[in-house]
Amino acid sequence: MRELPSRESAQFKQILKYYEFKQYKKGLKAAEQILKKYPEHGETLAMKGLFLNHMERKEEAREFARKGLRSDLNSHICWHVYGLLHRSDKNYGEALKCYTHALKIDKDNMQILQDYSLLQIQMRNYEAYNESRHHLLQLRSNNQRYWIGLAISYHLLENYETAGKVLKAYEETLKEKPSSMNFEYSEMLLYHNLILEESGDIKAALEHLESIKGEICDQRTWKEKRAQFLLKLDRFQEAEEAYLELIDDNPDCYSYYEGLHQAKKINVNSNNLTPEEEEKIITIYKELSQKYPKSNAIKRFPLQYITGENFKTLVDEYIRAALRKGVPSLFVNLKNFYDNPQKEKIIEQLVEGYLQCLKKHGTFTPPNENENEDDIIKEPPTAHLWTLYLLSQHYDNKRDNTKALKSIDEAIEHTPTLVELYMTKGRILKHGGNISEATKVMNEARELDLQDRFINSKCTKYMLRSNQPIEAENTIGLFTRGDAPDPITDLMEMQCMWFALEEADCYFRFNKLGKALKRLHQIEKHFSDITDDQFDFHTYCLRKVTLRAYLSMLRLEDQLRSHPYYLRSATNAIKIYLKLYDNPKTAALNDDDQDYANMTEGERKKAKSKAKRAALKKQKEDDEKKEKSKDEQKKRIEKPIDDDPEGEKFLKTDDPLGEAFKFLMPLQELSSKRIETHLLGFEIYLRKEKYLLALRALLQAYKIEKENATLHKDIIRFKLEVTSNRSKIHPTTIQVITEELTSKILPEDMNLIKFSEEFIERNKNSIEHLLVGAESFYLIDPSKKQEAGNLLLKVYDEKYNETRTLQNCISVYEALKNTFESPKAEEFYKKCKEWFPISTYFNQETK
Amino acid sequence: MNIRQATTDDLLAMQNCNIMNLPENYQMKYYFYHALSWPQLSFVAEDHKGRIVGYVLAKMEEDREDEPPHGHITSLSVMRTYRRLGIAEKLMTQAQKSMVEVFNAQYVSLHVRKSNRAALQLYKETLKFRIHEIEKKYYADGEDAYAMRKDLR
Repeated sequence: MRELPSRESAQFKQILKYYEFKQYKKGLKAAEQILKKYPEHGETLAMKGLFLNHMERKEEAREFARKGLRSDLNSHICWHVYGLLHRSDKNYGEALKCYTHALKIDKDNMQILQDYSLLQIQMRNYEAYNESRHHLLQLRSNNQRYWIGLAISYHLLENYETAGKVLKAYEETLKEKPSSMNFEYSEMLLYHNLILEESGDIKAALEHLESIKGEICDQRTWKEKRAQFLLKLDRFQEAEEAYLELIDDNPDCYSYYEGLHQAKKINVNSNNLTPEEEEKIITIYKELSQKYPKSNAIKRFPLQYITGENFKTLVDEYIRAALRKGVPSLFVNLKNFYDNPQKEKIIEQLVEGYLQCLKKHGTFTPPNENENEDDIIKEPPTAHLWTLYLLSQHYDNKRDNTKALKSIDEAIEHTPTLVELYMTKGRILKHGGNISEATKVMNEARELDLQDRFINSKCTKYMLRSNQPIEAENTIGLFTRGDAPDPITDLMEMQCMWFALEEADCYFRFNKLGKALKRLHQIEKHFSDITDDQFDFHTYCLRKVTLRAYLSMLRLEDQLRSHPYYLRSATNAIKIYLKLYDNPKTAALNDDDQDYANMTEGERKKAKSKAKRAALKKQKEDDEKKEKSKDEQKKRIEKPIDDDPEGEKFLKTDDPLGEAFKFLMPLQELSSKRIETHLLGFEIYLRKEKYLLALRALLQAYKIEKENATLHKDIIRFKLEVTSNRSKIHPTTIQVITEELTSKILPEDMNLIKFSEEFIERNKNSIEHLLVGAESFYLIDPSKKQEAGNLLLKVYDEKYNETRTLQNCISVYEALKNTFESPKAEEFYKKCKEWFPISTYFNQETK
Repeated sequence: MNIRQATTDDLLAMQNCNIMNLPENYQMKYYFYHALSWPQLSFVAEDHKGRIVGYVLAKMEEDREDEPPHGHITSLSVMRTYRRLGIAEKLMTQAQKSMVEVFNAQYVSLHVRKSNRAALQLYKETLKFRIHEIEKKYYADGEDAYAMRKDLR
């Protein structure tokens, strides 16, 4: 029964109005009234479901929507409502099906068509989106939004010509042009121009751009586009002028200078500029710097390109100015010149020189001999401080811990209240391998400026690095919202990623895999929420006509999971799931000793007592807080109870490889140029015994970076496993593997030993490769344990000086001791103690 | 330091910079809302490696009938390690220029915590804002805000 008597029928119309005006409570009440008399009326049941859904009563909502649909399968309203509910649950596929049904019943229903098209664009179903947009425009050709929607749909299908035509047709329907400075019209014209640009016809794009100049509010974009087009059309003279004009608007924008270089045909990318070219650059920037004395970009740009004496003269000026002013980022700024060792040397000599003079005379350079002591213009006392600060960073970068610490301690003695100095000291200690001391220093820095969240964040990060999650949560909690139930909840709501990533790393080190996974899944949730956030903007941007920004959002969303945060979280999640697969017992072990399994005895004791103290402190604080907030609690929203704080449900999965694979898929889709993606894929496929896929992963990795150390070991592992499992593998598979490996990676006449020897030889300065080589020998022939261990002792050779980092040495030592059980391990340890004087790892008393 | 208009690609880094530096945080959707409503108004500072070290997130207040069109600074921040380069000033200069050029803004407004003396100093002395009024209990924790303004005409 569809038809209601006239009284109820009027009431039902009112219900639809209530929905339109978001009066859900009233709507619900009215629906219930009708249902009293006609409890089986499908459309009213459906509407009741819809209201309930908006009132966060999801389960009942679903029940009524379903009931409604059952009583009236031929109602477009019932199907539409059911679709809306699916949409609000993010079941986009199901929602699409419902809308299709609804449209079969009422094909020209604007509202349903609108919602339908939103889902299509959200799902990137461009063909279908285009069809819906056609349909919508047919129904409402007098509304700008529908014209624009159709143009976008063609643009997304890369049909630039039709997209442009649609916009042109619309522009022609406008009887008179909007008055000047109409933002929406201006945005539409710039969007039209973008379509022309992307079609590749730059000449047409430039012509169009010139023709719309008078209508454009966003003059900056207009100028930028014009300059780019002129450059692309080789109209260099005009391009140069255009870029100079842009520089006048913003003398700190790098891309304008890059444009200028191209327009002036200076190939700054070549490594050896001729003396004439260097002179040219110096002159250009000298002129610019007179005009724009405040621009940092102008001062810095030439330093990148010039060399030798030219570089020395300019960098001398540059550094002195920054030291006088006290610019904390000076070193980071200079560091990128260090790619050129000559430049690094120049900087070191200059700064060492300043320090000597500052100490003696209070100036950067020795004063003239005839000059009277009183006539010398002295630098401000802070110049001495910033010089020490710069030097310490310079030596830290060279990993000369002793010199770096000496300079920074001198600086701290000079000015004991400067946060930046402590932060640098913390970094030096961290690089030197003493993270717990580094954390202490960071905490001192934090206490010097309790109002600053930046130093609070840094200190929190160090606490996590030194395995103190409770302290970290307490510290970051000083800046999270007071009305949130706890710091973590606030950070989650604010979609804070760095903390979750660092805490996951921390728990991973502790072997608290459940908690680590919990954090990593949170990050995954942030990313999927960002994807869902798009939804509202599909309508919003058409209304606002901010179409260029809209398009860039769509493109960003398509690539979203290529973001470094996602890469890091997915990589770690995969590694943890692999670990769970390899040691299913790990999941059950959550006792104390398991927590500290990866630490040495001394570290373990310390960490345990620290954790105990922190837990006690937190308990006390929590109790106090509870007391205090008893009254507030009533006001506060119920704290959402986390029913799985330890992340047990992630540990309990029966399919860790399947879970790992879910994280891998976006990497394969969006980050296939990163070797890590394929190496992780290999690990999953090998465990699943999917040998052809594992092979493909190896081949792809090989294409990207054939000398990668991990890859070499993986090839060996693969070959060995295929050989030993031969009987279980299909002969065709074996044949394919053999053919592919021999033709692409491992020549037929070469055995694995020789393959590994050549690998070490080719990468003769790399400890990482030496280690993998030695491990490979041992894998190939376990009886050669001692020989493999001896091979690794080459690590002392001078040629390995450059790669003898702390991390590499720790790996080598652990391999010597645990894998190869070498009697020489302790000798190596002693040597490392000399190389890394402040590292806690190599300075344990128990040794 | 490279000062340039923010794009949607910068929003995650801006959000990260905000949550590292400031106690007032927003969800990603709010950043998107800014970039998709007033794409010309937000700017970032980027180091030579492309890391975002500072940003200004700005908007227009256009829909109020009782006030002329004016800009509003939602959030401004520069990483501590990149201070003393005049980055905040440069970001603000660019945002204000665009407010006038694109949206015909008459003035720009912002809020600052009463206790945040460093920020107050920056807005007052360096950026030439003046205190328009005090908004009682503007912040969630009950703190008052200075509502500040600067004429752009």
